[in-house]
Amino acid sequence: MPILRSHISPGSEEFRANQKANRALVDDLNAQLERVAAGGGERARERHVGRGKLLPRERVDRLLDPGAPFLECSALAAHGLYDDEAPGAGIITGIGRVSGRECVIVANDATVKGGTYYPMTVKKHLRAQEIALHNRLPCIYLVDSGGAFLPRQDEVFPDREHFGRIFFNQATMSAQGIPQIASVMGSCTAGGAYVPAMSDETVIVRDEGTIFLGGPPLVKAATGEEVTAEELGGGELHSRTSGVTDHLASDDAHALEIVRDIVATLAPRAGGRGSYPWERRPTEPPAVDPDQLLGVVSADLRKPYDAREVIARIVDASRWNEFKELYGPTLVTGFAHIHGHPVGILANNGILFSESALKGAHFIELCDQRQIPLVFLQNITGFMVGRDYEAGGIAKHGAKMVTAVSTARVPKLTVILGGSFGAGNYGMCGRAYSPRMLWMWPGARISVMGGEQAATVMTEVGQPEVGAQLREQYERQGHPYYATARLWDDGVIDPRDTRDVLGLALSAAANAPLSDVRYGVFRM
Amino acid sequence: MFDAVLIANRGEIARRVIRTLDRLGIGSVAVYTAADRHAPHVREAVCAVQIPSYLDIDAILAACGQWDAQALHPGYGFLSENPALARACAEAGVTFIGPPPEAGELMGDKLRAKEAAARAGLPVVPSFTEAAAREADGRDIYPLLVKAAAGGGGRGMRVVERPEDLDAALTSARREARAGFGDDRVFIERLLPRARHLEVQIIADTHGRVLHLGERECSLQRRHQKVMEESPSPVVSPELRAALGAEAVALSQAAGYVNAGTVEFIADFANPAEHYFLEMNARLQVEHPVTEMVTGLDLVELQLRVAAGEPLPISQDDVALDGHAIEVRVTAEDAARDFLPAAGPVLAYARPAETDVVRVDDAIEPGTTVDTSYDSLLAKVIAHGADRAQALARLERALAGFTVLGVTTTTRYLRGLLADDRVRAGELDTGLIDRRGVPDGPMGDEGVAVSAAMLILAERAAHARDGGDPFDRVDGWRLGGVRVASHWRLSVGGGEPLDVTVAPEYVDMVSPLGGGRFAIEGRGEWLLARDGDVTWIGHGGSAWAVRPAGRAALGDATLADGDVRAPMPGQVLLVHAATGDTVAAGDPLVVLESMKMELVLTAPLDGELTELSVAVGDRVAIDQPLARVRATD
Repeated sequence: MPILRSHISPGSEEFRANQKANRALVDDLNAQLERVAAGGGERARERHVGRGKLLPRERVDRLLDPGAPFLECSALAAHGLYDDEAPGAGIITGIGRVSGRECVIVANDATVKGGTYYPMTVKKHLRAQEIALHNRLPCIYLVDSGGAFLPRQDEVFPDREHFGRIFFNQATMSAQGIPQIASVMGSCTAGGAYVPAMSDETVIVRDEGTIFLGGPPLVKAATGEEVTAEELGGGELHSRTSGVTDHLASDDAHALEIVRDIVATLAPRAGGRGSYPWERRPTEPPAVDPDQLLGVVSADLRKPYDAREVIARIVDASRWNEFKELYGPTLVTGFAHIHGHPVGILANNGILFSESALKGAHFIELCDQRQIPLVFLQNITGFMVGRDYEAGGIAKHGAKMVTAVSTARVPKLTVILGGSFGAGNYGMCGRAYSPRMLWMWPGARISVMGGEQAATVMTEVGQPEVGAQLREQYERQGHPYYATARLWDDGVIDPRDTRDVLGLALSAAANAPLSDVRYGVFRM
Repeated sequence: MFDAVLIANRGEIARRVIRTLDRLGIGSVAVYTAADRHAPHVREAVCAVQIPSYLDIDAILAACGQWDAQALHPGYGFLSENPALARACAEAGVTFIGPPPEAGELMGDKLRAKEAAARAGLPVVPSFTEAAAREADGRDIYPLLVKAAAGGGGRGMRVVERPEDLDAALTSARREARAGFGDDRVFIERLLPRARHLEVQIIADTHGRVLHLGERECSLQRRHQKVMEESPSPVVSPELRAALGAEAVALSQAAGYVNAGTVEFIADFANPAEHYFLEMNARLQVEHPVTEMVTGLDLVELQLRVAAGEPLPISQDDVALDGHAIEVRVTAEDAARDFLPAAGPVLAYARPAETDVVRVDDAIEPGTTVDTSYDSLLAKVIAHGADRAQALARLERALAGFTVLGVTTTTRYLRGLLADDRVRAGELDTGLIDRRGVPDGPMGDEGVAVSAAMLILAERAAHARDGGDPFDRVDGWRLGGVRVASHWRLSVGGGEPLDVTVAPEYVDMVSPLGGGRFAIEGRGEWLLARDGDVTWIGHGGSAWAVRPAGRAALGDATLADGDVRAPMPGQVLLVHAATGDTVAAGDPLVVLESMKMELVLTAPLDGELTELSVAVGDRVAIDQPLARVRATD
């Protein structure tokens, strides 16, 4: 297989300028992540720890196998929402290995408003369950939550994708053989009580975990009965009398150990431990230094750069077997490996023409046939417009690519490197096309069209003042933080983490077997 | 000289005899039991015959016949001092490499040997009849020592501090003597309060020449088992050496002794010139290598020559002691658990390189399974120096390179012993080891647990690099370049669980060297091996079994309190109670025998014996539940 070489000089002024700008973006991202990791602030943390409880991130760390990686999802959820009083939306989700098994972990952060569910908390919880469903990963819920955030009940309770969906997912996943395990490490009130109750196997921490449909104040109001939380729904009660929980733990660490023991009893993943639906080979680091990514990628979205400069820095040994290099060159397609997993990569090198769309559709079909997961590297302003192109049927050619993206059964992963505008987002496997996971780089932008274009369109139709407003609005709403706050992605990542993130996501995706292909390859 | 010699033994002594046979160009015939079929001595011999037991005389002689072995070397232990073997050899026309049966029998009977020694002019320890011991109300003759007439190696021996303990000591010594030697005669001696153990190596030919090869001091003993031996003794003057040698020769000649033997003395700690005959061992001793290292002689070769009827090739004047040699016995015992016998597979084994000044006589190799049915001796490590200090220093270095994973050994304990000021000063007596106890090792359990976690992480990291899955990485990877510490709860050597945290950068300090060997930056070379969920790590002669420690389940604490578990592997000797009995805390329930010890397991609390899962004769594994007492409420 040919090896990609870089054509960019790290000494160039352009490289240094890019690096400076991108580093500033990454520094800001890290600052945001650090802020969010602190949860609900110093006082809430002190109170939490003072009760002998582990902080939610400590719980996750101790639950995982020693030293195991944790692919956290949507760490900046709810960023800029709810007056920023719910960092991370008060919940930590991600994929990590427990007792040798990749699992989805959902941990409430009780230091954030008692772990109550804001709208984005619900969305983040549901998204974690969706990841578990698509990848067939056991779910572990570290429950410490007061239930729905009451002031926003209209946004968390009644609709299809609201609170109730959590339990629907638990039941339906369990029915599909995806284990559901809960550890009650704090309060678990009202709707929250169903998380442990709906799990296959449940642990509770004595003198700390409580499960009840109505807490002591509500009981007193309803019936006049006076009862302590522990008597009403403590660990002893639920482990010895009600049977709602299966294991009684003396403290958080003990509970996590029991959860690890439970995971050790689970049936192995499809195909058995260490098996993959595709052929994996030993990992090799890229031949071109991944640390240079910040200098390679244009800080200015309007300045194009060769997507191969990115590919060279994220694939094993920088080996790259390009497909249809000479045809439809604005879409780069080819085969490579990431952390030993075979991948078919589609990356934008400019706007999508009919040829590039056809090439993309063809390549997606090839990968699907060959059981090779797909990686989309988006940097796309959209499909070409104009009379000749419409006459050439660009709509139906684009539709072929969208169809191929929608129906390919192999896992799809998407990284938005730069622009993600209009139908380009669709053809390149945007959120609506259910890639297994999707991330944004901190310099990326996402919107139906560019703010500039929207403003121009409005000016053309005689509403220039609306146009000016749209420009500002699109810029704000297209920002990765705005996107990730609303769970349009699974997180904003440092470009230098891209390779590891993709490798972990591919390994997680390997937990789900592939279904059969229904068509042959249609040549385009 | 013989064409082929059979070695009626196993372990290090069988290998050691084979080495000399090889050097002399004599064929070696090994015998082995089914359990030993992969033992190194079987492979190293020219040929080998499986036998039902190392005590099966008929099978051993049949093996001699099968491979035309003209002579038999008995080693030590097993049948070495059993006159029946010597006689059976004579009848079968096989030369027994040891003393004539009569001399062997005489020395095997401690009572008669003592009388013979007295007749030959050797000072002997005052002894008492049972009646005299019982009647003596005066404390002046106590403490006393009850010894089995047929005994050896501390078996059937009891110290009696007070007259009222005499009967119990007699009963238990007799039982042990009967079980061990089929002879329950015992006798009672004065016990020297603070004594050194000195012994003289002799070798006698059939032409009337008896040589003494200098003394050995073996005062460091635990339960009458020698732990460290040296030659010469740090306190024996040339005059005393000559006197001890002359006495040993006199006794040998009077007894008509031929071949190698050892005359043992007990001597006053402060004034070793005040000494008494203890016994004569009619065999090659475990500790013979120290004599070989200072005299430059091969004792097994001399044994073979005199057994073949050759005259000794040297005279007493040719015997000179050069420098100093010290031996320690590395055994499969757990010093931290009162030297309980240890068992298990040898997962990894590092031994010091043998040189002119370091010798290792060992019985194990990777893959050997050590069990408790045989002697716990795994290896003897011997070092020579121009003087005692140099020998000690070399032995210390050698032990630092002796590491066994999979079986708990006494190496670390022995290193501590060699470093003890009293040992370094030569202030040795037979009670020193008991008084000293088992001081903590050089590294606390916490340090061991951290090292174990580092090594496990390094091993996994190597796997992750070498084709592993991205989730196999162990650097605590998080988004944004963050790396978090890993948390472990580990138990070292069965001790209390320890919570340790390993920062990710620690893993970078470990470099895998391959084959289970690792280098930790600034902390030398380490070994790692696995046995189920147990990880063994070793460094500098020490080895630790580290296992993941869980937290106790809640709710069953009351049940666990009443459990009686085997603290060591062994065999059930006696059962004192039956299911349904009402027992009080401390009541004996089960007596276990393992190696040379009897261990009484008692009721942990007052209550009813609700379970008793073993019967006399059962073999039990360590930590196996034997009985359960339900508390009376």
